[in-house]
Amino acid sequence: MTMSREDDSLLVCEQCGLPQRWHAMHRREIAHCPRCDAIVGRGHRLELPSVLALTVAAAAAWLVAVSAPLMSINLRGGNEAATLPEAIVDAWSGGQELVAVVAAITALIAPGGFILLRLYVLTPLLRGSRPPGFAWCVRALHQAGRWNMIEVFTVGVLLSLVRLAGIADTSPGPGLFALGALTMLFAAIESAGLKHLWWQAR
Amino acid sequence: MSVAAAQWPQPDWLGCESCGLATANAFRHSGEVPGRIQRCGRCGHALQATKPYAVQRTSACVIAAAVLYVPANVLPIMLTTSALQKGEHTLLGGIHELWIGGSWGLAIIVFIASIAVPVLKIGVLALLAWSVRYAPGWRRLERARLYRLIEAVGHWSMLDVYVVVLLAATVRFGPLASVAAGPGLLSFAAVVVLTLLATWSFDPRLIWRGASAHTVAHSDSPVSATTVASR
Repeated sequence: MTMSREDDSLLVCEQCGLPQRWHAMHRREIAHCPRCDAIVGRGHRLELPSVLALTVAAAAAWLVAVSAPLMSINLRGGNEAATLPEAIVDAWSGGQELVAVVAAITALIAPGGFILLRLYVLTPLLRGSRPPGFAWCVRALHQAGRWNMIEVFTVGVLLSLVRLAGIADTSPGPGLFALGALTMLFAAIESAGLKHLWWQAR
Repeated sequence: MSVAAAQWPQPDWLGCESCGLATANAFRHSGEVPGRIQRCGRCGHALQATKPYAVQRTSACVIAAAVLYVPANVLPIMLTTSALQKGEHTLLGGIHELWIGGSWGLAIIVFIASIAVPVLKIGVLALLAWSVRYAPGWRRLERARLYRLIEAVGHWSMLDVYVVVLLAATVRFGPLASVAAGPGLLSFAAVVVLTLLATWSFDPRLIWRGASAHTVAHSDSPVSATTVASR
């Protein structure tokens, strides 16, 4: 057990455990496992600097999405607008503490953590070095990606707007547009993958 | 469990979940040795042939989710107050309101997210957990595809939780019009989180235990990766 034999010409299918050989892939090529048909590799569409640029854009969109109102409604002269943190605090103070925690993790903390960790990891990687705690960061990024449900939240805001449209005068806020941008940016960043970060620098 | 563990041969190669590096399985001849963990030489992540207690954890979360699914549907998830009346809205009731209100597209989206996806997840995970033990060779490819399907769509059932939280935060006009979360919302949010945890604690490699390496998924797929003969 002291000597472990590693072979970086092999990849093991995550879904079924079948070992197979790597091969060079061109852009947009997707390799499937010959046994279980899961995706085992993609030709990378995005280089490291592009991923970093998208992450910086996502950070800007995230700041708008969490600080600007998502939607506002007018009812007989009264006006109410809600931001994401306000909605979470409201759920907490309304006696739905656990629902507030779930919403905070999936719509606020996981997307924010995803962006911060990406920035922390990608910036030194561009200069060819790994930041301290790199292994922990990659694992945390995996978890943040799982819990990040910003695209579901975006659809949730749209659905709320439509539901209110029948009873009151509603209008989308700047936060909703930021959420839309964020959804697309996250999809692009996630397509770049996580494991290949380990192959970028020694 | 030791009997079941001895029954299945250990794989020759283990892939690191964190960095993807392939390492020869140190326990492939001895079987797993309690208390000893092989770690990835590059990133230090634990290498395991399968996730520990995968079936037990998945089963526990699925049973809890199935139990909580009852109050999630019976209790109102949203309480409304308007100048005219007070209202209680259940999951299905909300979909019914959208449907009779003419928003058929929205009703279908909410039905898929709030009813179809949770039921599909509970059913598929129960089937997977059962079949790993009692029907290991049965339709492996289809079961693997089902797992990937629920992994991909699972988080969409959070949709109604967000809608109620958002409506409660914006519709705050006191007795004129206000929305509050109902007691069913907590159960529903718990169902969503439990089914997600159940999905993530299951290990799809269990589906392929004892399968030959040469079950080819598609005969017409391009040969993008070649199987390695065991050494």
